[in-house]
Amino acid sequence: MRMTVGTLLVLLAIVTVGTFPAGVAADEEPISGTVKSVDSAAQTLTLEVASKGKTRDVVVHMKPGAKVVRFARSTEPGKAGFIEQEVPLSAVKVGWIVSATTKHEGNREVAEQIKIVVER
Amino acid sequence: MTAMRAKTLTVAATALLALIVGLWAFRPPASRANGDKDHDKEKGGHAHVPAPLEYADIHVPLSVWTDHAMIARGKGIYTTRCAVCHGDQGDGKGPAGMALPLKPPDFRDEDGVAEMRDNYWFWRVSEGGQVEPFKGKGSAMPPWKGELSVEDRWAVMAYQHTYSGHNGPHVPWEHPGSIAVGRDIYAMACVPCHGVVGKGDGSVGPMLAPRRAPQPRDFTSSEFKFRSTPSGQLPTTADLFRTLTEGVRSEGGPMTIGLRGHRIMPSFQHMPVAQRLEVLEYVKSFNRTFWDRQEIKVVTVPTPPAMTPDRLAGGKKLYADAECLACHGERGRGDGPSAPTLKDNRGLPIAATNLTRPERFKNGARPEDIYRTLVTGLAGTPMPSYADSLEPDQVWDLVYYVLSLSQDQGRTAGTAAR
Repeated sequence: MRMTVGTLLVLLAIVTVGTFPAGVAADEEPISGTVKSVDSAAQTLTLEVASKGKTRDVVVHMKPGAKVVRFARSTEPGKAGFIEQEVPLSAVKVGWIVSATTKHEGNREVAEQIKIVVER
Repeated sequence: MTAMRAKTLTVAATALLALIVGLWAFRPPASRANGDKDHDKEKGGHAHVPAPLEYADIHVPLSVWTDHAMIARGKGIYTTRCAVCHGDQGDGKGPAGMALPLKPPDFRDEDGVAEMRDNYWFWRVSEGGQVEPFKGKGSAMPPWKGELSVEDRWAVMAYQHTYSGHNGPHVPWEHPGSIAVGRDIYAMACVPCHGVVGKGDGSVGPMLAPRRAPQPRDFTSSEFKFRSTPSGQLPTTADLFRTLTEGVRSEGGPMTIGLRGHRIMPSFQHMPVAQRLEVLEYVKSFNRTFWDRQEIKVVTVPTPPAMTPDRLAGGKKLYADAECLACHGERGRGDGPSAPTLKDNRGLPIAATNLTRPERFKNGARPEDIYRTLVTGLAGTPMPSYADSLEPDQVWDLVYYVLSLSQDQGRTAGTAAR
């Protein structure tokens, strides 16, 4: 009996350890959309986001210290891959497509990083 | 002591279980992301729906897929414009793509790429994810039609195609899986008349009009009656779609009695549009000439002018001058002096259309339908094209006169069109 309960506890602990981070991670969601407006003062972007056949506007709040990055080819000899270039939020233009991983805080979608997907 | 210890352990286990249930029950909703949560279950996260009609005829010339110059041109475009999402290895793992809710496809996935038809691929590159059903799934793919020429888009497709490891042209006969849905629909709905290999030799066909024309279309030949393209050319996919949707009316035969309007080919208007488009892609695969067309000319039907007594008089004169009455008869009843001798290209006797029964016009009885028939002719039948011999205004005169023949019989074009 003692062994059974002990084994059960170990199993439950394993399940708990496995489940808890998943629950936390579920709070972070990838999002992408077309930039409808940028408010540099408020550090927000409004994105037009399509989901499940419907379009809605989502205001993404930049976390203090959050970055906006674009991807560019490395100019370093022998390195052909992409490098991240940080740009100010004010450089983001309406119509560009961006992505972010946002966290739901209260009623706000908060991002630590905005990635520019398409500039046009 | 042992019992107390067991009790403590049980309480601890219960508490832990309650914690797990609590964490599971109160975890944050995972519905804010705009990507399709089920996309991983699909190949590359994308459904290969049929390209819409405006893209259905845009087939990539076969040589493009293996042309080294085009592939190199495509590589240059891909590297600067596509790789940021689709990845330098074509694996959909570019730095920008990795962050997207709807992941870019993996071009290395041989099966996934094989399912994409060329017109679908071209549509995706041209319109990106800004059209349904991709927009609703949250696709971030931008449209490239405004920035890349048609040849540039072909080139980038040819380069992307190299990632799959397939060396030949990307066509249905190399990738039968790309037309598997259409093949199944064809097997259920079309084989009885058009035959297994599309030669128009199905077992039911001869019963529709025994030893007479019309017989089911031979899709392997280049002769298609109902087209918006000039005489001698293949139809557009939109033409095929129209025929499939509306069916083909006729005088009927023993097997057509149950078909509404005595159609010799039933209307498939109740079949979902996507399924009609799928089956047409399969039908086109019987004739590789559809992939050889570089440019498709379509007969444009001008806006119909108002009908006037002068137009009717002009049409009546043309009806005689163009020798319409030789086959269709003076009153349009299909009883002209040449009518008994008419044969189609298979040597089967064919009836001249009774113009007083527009509800049975095979190519439609709306004014624009009759205009199109006069300009394109009906390939494989004695009905010629008048594109070179009549001006558009004269064609309209003739259209109105043809329609007046049924009105003389107490029928109207409106009735016919229904």
